[in-house]
Amino acid sequence: MGAYIVGGAVAKVDRHFDRGYRDLAYEVTKECSGCLDVDYIVVSSALPELTAHQVDLGTHIAQWLGRRVPVIRVESGETSGLAAVDLAASLVASGRGRKVLVLGVEKVTDYPTYTANYFYSLMLDYEFEVLRGVSPPAYAALAMKELMKDGVRRECFSSWAVRMHENAASIPHAMLRFKISYDSFKDSQVLAEPLTLHDSFALGDGAAAVVVSNSPDPKASSVEILFSAAEVELPAYSRERISDLNASSKLLKLSLERYGLDLRRVAVELHDSYTPYPIAILRSLGYLDSECDLSELEYLNVSGGLKARGHPIGATGIYQVYEVFKLLTDKLGGKTSPSDYGLVHSMSGPDNVSRVLILRR
Amino acid sequence: MKLSPAQIWRIRESQYRLVITVCESCGKKSAFKRSVCPFCGSGNVKHMESEGLGKVLEVTKVLYRWASSDERPPSLVAVVELDEGVKVVGEIVGVGTDEEVKEGTRVEAVLRRYASDDPYGVIYYGIKFKPLKTA
Repeated sequence: MGAYIVGGAVAKVDRHFDRGYRDLAYEVTKECSGCLDVDYIVVSSALPELTAHQVDLGTHIAQWLGRRVPVIRVESGETSGLAAVDLAASLVASGRGRKVLVLGVEKVTDYPTYTANYFYSLMLDYEFEVLRGVSPPAYAALAMKELMKDGVRRECFSSWAVRMHENAASIPHAMLRFKISYDSFKDSQVLAEPLTLHDSFALGDGAAAVVVSNSPDPKASSVEILFSAAEVELPAYSRERISDLNASSKLLKLSLERYGLDLRRVAVELHDSYTPYPIAILRSLGYLDSECDLSELEYLNVSGGLKARGHPIGATGIYQVYEVFKLLTDKLGGKTSPSDYGLVHSMSGPDNVSRVLILRR
Repeated sequence: MKLSPAQIWRIRESQYRLVITVCESCGKKSAFKRSVCPFCGSGNVKHMESEGLGKVLEVTKVLYRWASSDERPPSLVAVVELDEGVKVVGEIVGVGTDEEVKEGTRVEAVLRRYASDDPYGVIYYGIKFKPLKTA
């Protein structure tokens, strides 16, 4: 028995000071046809214990939505969203559920940025990395320095951010819907030399939903969840190089080879928390040289990616899945995928765990 | 109380003494006192204490704000390869105004404060690194 995505909806990624977890969850399910006609709910959220003092968020959201069906909450750092979709696919494939609502929701902007940054840093190992003063942008900066030693120019990382902002400008639910220029980097705040704020994802609140069903919907567009895989990588400090994102590279390479896919013609949402990471991944797959010409990758992060659509941590994976679903079945940013296949990639921290999902229309 | 004395006490051999793990199955060494080799998954491991000397492989100056400025001022964070062949990450401290930390800089482990609860609360200590004086 297969698993199919038969619908979904997203809220704008933003600083929603007037809305909490429950409000965002309600807003997105209200906009989603079929989202509440389900017999199971999977809630994806990474930080509610820290940002809202809330344990068992799934149950409280189900109560708020007036549902009595089974609910479970999934947390796997930044990959929570794809982990939740993976679980939902297993639930319908095993017969435990007929239709599963997968609801990603995150609130991260209720505190000063430095507090949110600390919460986000806990994606790393608290005892062996965070206590030692190591934060996610420190790793990203070290990875950037390694890549620059390989001959990758600073402008290459900037070009990723410029492209993501261009893409996000036409995405209604994106957080940063404006273009930036290469000059923007000159005055950008440094996070960890040489990494700047413009090399970083945009942190925002968000909610996104998809419905996973055991059969295609005859009345609506559907895509099949063809492949879902995950792999855990060594801690970054134990690798040959921090920029070796082996779990991500391996899973994406496997996906492309198994289904004969070419990223130049396939819609793909890559996890781009910091610009060195997608650059490292695309280089490892043979799609980028040191010139970093992204022009042939037309369907790459059409959403604007974490960089510009925004990164509501535990909800981001659901946004990515929804966006590829839209590219396969309708339009996103004025584009429709020419291929029947679409890829979603997510990772937590510097590739501590990587997940890849392949959808087929 | 946000910090637990028990949590830091449990990992004292990794945080205070730089104990490292040597795998008897694959032969690889890994940072910290571990029960299982992170490279091959074998539980056939032994432990040894690092001399605390090493060299900087890569370093970055971190200005990212992830706590109040009092708690976390700008810092140097580096990947350090210990002389035993193990890589760890950590802060570089005690850098003189006339010193530059870069790839290859020799460093030694020192015990420094990691975090504290409040003026009267628990203080976490652990290993950081400082440039080795060669003269």
